[in-house]
Amino acid sequence: MNPRTRHALEFVLDNLVWFMLLLVLVVFSLFIPNYFQLGIFANIIEASSVLGVMSIGLALVIIAGHMDLSVESVAALSAMAVGILFCSSGIGLGVQLHPQWLMVPVSLLLALAVGGLIGAFNGYLVVRVKMSAFIITLASYIWVRGLVLVISGGRSAQDLAPAIRWFGIQRLIGLPLTAWIAVACFVVFSLIMAKTPFGRHLVMIGGNETATFRAGIRVNRNLVIAFVLAGAIAGLAGWLLAIRTSGATANLGIGLLFNAFAAVVIGGVSLKGGVGTLPGVYAGVLLLSAINTAINLMGLPANFTQVIHGLLVLAAVLLDAFKQTIRQRLA
Amino acid sequence: MSEPLLVLDKVTKNYGAIEALKGISFSIGRGEVVALLGDNGAGKSTLVKIISGGLEPTSGRMLFEGKEFLARSPAEAKAAGIETVYQDLSLCTNVDVVANFFMGREITRKVLGIPVLDERAMEAVVGKALASAGTRIPSLRTNVEHLSGGQRQAIELNRFVHWGGKLVLLDEPFAALGVEQTRRGLDMIRQVASQGIGVVIITHIMQQAFQVADRIVVIRQGVVAGDVARNKTSPDAVINMITGETLAGAGPAG
Repeated sequence: MNPRTRHALEFVLDNLVWFMLLLVLVVFSLFIPNYFQLGIFANIIEASSVLGVMSIGLALVIIAGHMDLSVESVAALSAMAVGILFCSSGIGLGVQLHPQWLMVPVSLLLALAVGGLIGAFNGYLVVRVKMSAFIITLASYIWVRGLVLVISGGRSAQDLAPAIRWFGIQRLIGLPLTAWIAVACFVVFSLIMAKTPFGRHLVMIGGNETATFRAGIRVNRNLVIAFVLAGAIAGLAGWLLAIRTSGATANLGIGLLFNAFAAVVIGGVSLKGGVGTLPGVYAGVLLLSAINTAINLMGLPANFTQVIHGLLVLAAVLLDAFKQTIRQRLA
Repeated sequence: MSEPLLVLDKVTKNYGAIEALKGISFSIGRGEVVALLGDNGAGKSTLVKIISGGLEPTSGRMLFEGKEFLARSPAEAKAAGIETVYQDLSLCTNVDVVANFFMGREITRKVLGIPVLDERAMEAVVGKALASAGTRIPSLRTNVEHLSGGQRQAIELNRFVHWGGKLVLLDEPFAALGVEQTRRGLDMIRQVASQGIGVVIITHIMQQAFQVADRIVVIRQGVVAGDVARNKTSPDAVINMITGETLAGAGPAG
């Protein structure tokens, strides 16, 4: 095999999920009436913003060789905290700040802080107490959701302050600002993972934690930062969720965790750690969203979505194994 | 050699009731190659881990360059100038050769105050280091998982030669190497030592120890069973020390 073909083949393998996305979009555009419109594509991006942001945090921790099951509940808690403070009906306290725009940074910081704190708690237990991240974050997944129920009393907050809602309404080149926030997050974190020592270290920790420790990399510190980031990003996802639903309910975002998992796996991140890139994860998120949109357009019952997502995850894992075989042939 | 580089003074290590090291004392000079020999389970790897910061000793003390020394982590040992090549390779197979070579010491440049990896500079350094050692690897950008055992070990060896430091610990570094690569590895060790760096090499192969070492230290059941200059002993005498049939030259030298 000459180097050219080899290079081309490696490029395709590295970006396989993007090619899949392209294929799916082309097929849907050809066979589903009304699919091929700018509005539909904008909708795909818009609908994937919350899931996309959440997947970033999850992917960071999984690439570093660990796990964070708590992201969904953390997003819900952040959304509820923002909802209770800045909503004007339901259980909302309707806190007003002057000038109005001040509510934006305050609510955002609140959401990030709530998420970051729970992330720090998870990270501390994983690193210091050396417990399995799976169990710790499973516990967090449960108790944080419990906390949402406790502080809301099972009721909901509605009518988010207009100054904050503005982000969900104001559009820039056809997309609401919330979608742009998600895109910006992907760009920023993709750069961090690919171009900075911190990102490189996370990938290497996921690959061989002992080796990185021996090489003098501060493994524990990096891991705690990864968990804090995952929590804070989940907090941001919660903030976006509150904006999108203009408030918060006690069961907000249930099921998002599994979609995030699906997106991460479809995006080419290995659950064993050390493998995967964030652009791939974004493609995974968009792929899920593109399929959801197709299901809606075809008028299939929404219940089909879950069946298809499940099959898609299976396909992604099979595809990953297949890629490994090809790569071994290449080497 | 006026002042030794590293002095171990009655270093012990207990795992619960088990005494892995019962009081090890010996020293390493600058530019000296010490071969550490001993049977399986004699405590060689434990000793290496204590010096390199992977384990803390139960008692005893170490002097590094005349100063009290205790590495609580590999990062501390590295900062003091101690490099280690472990028996089970310390490579991240999921990243490329360049990333492994610079693990934890990446070259960065500031972009808007943020450290950004300078891949081109790193690749140039690695290319030069591997070429001067005569190691051939098809592409520095291939992930290490696609390389052979020998190539992987070569990367580790080149890494320590490049970073140098003051003291190098090698725990069975040639296990996966062919004849020619081993010869080159031994040359590398002499070359490193000639720069005034102290080298401790653990090996099972008597011939290698006699080829490369200035001094041979034998550990048996957690104590130093022999500490002799290479030119004052023979392979047979060393084997006797390892198996414990004689205690020729027992105790620390000098």
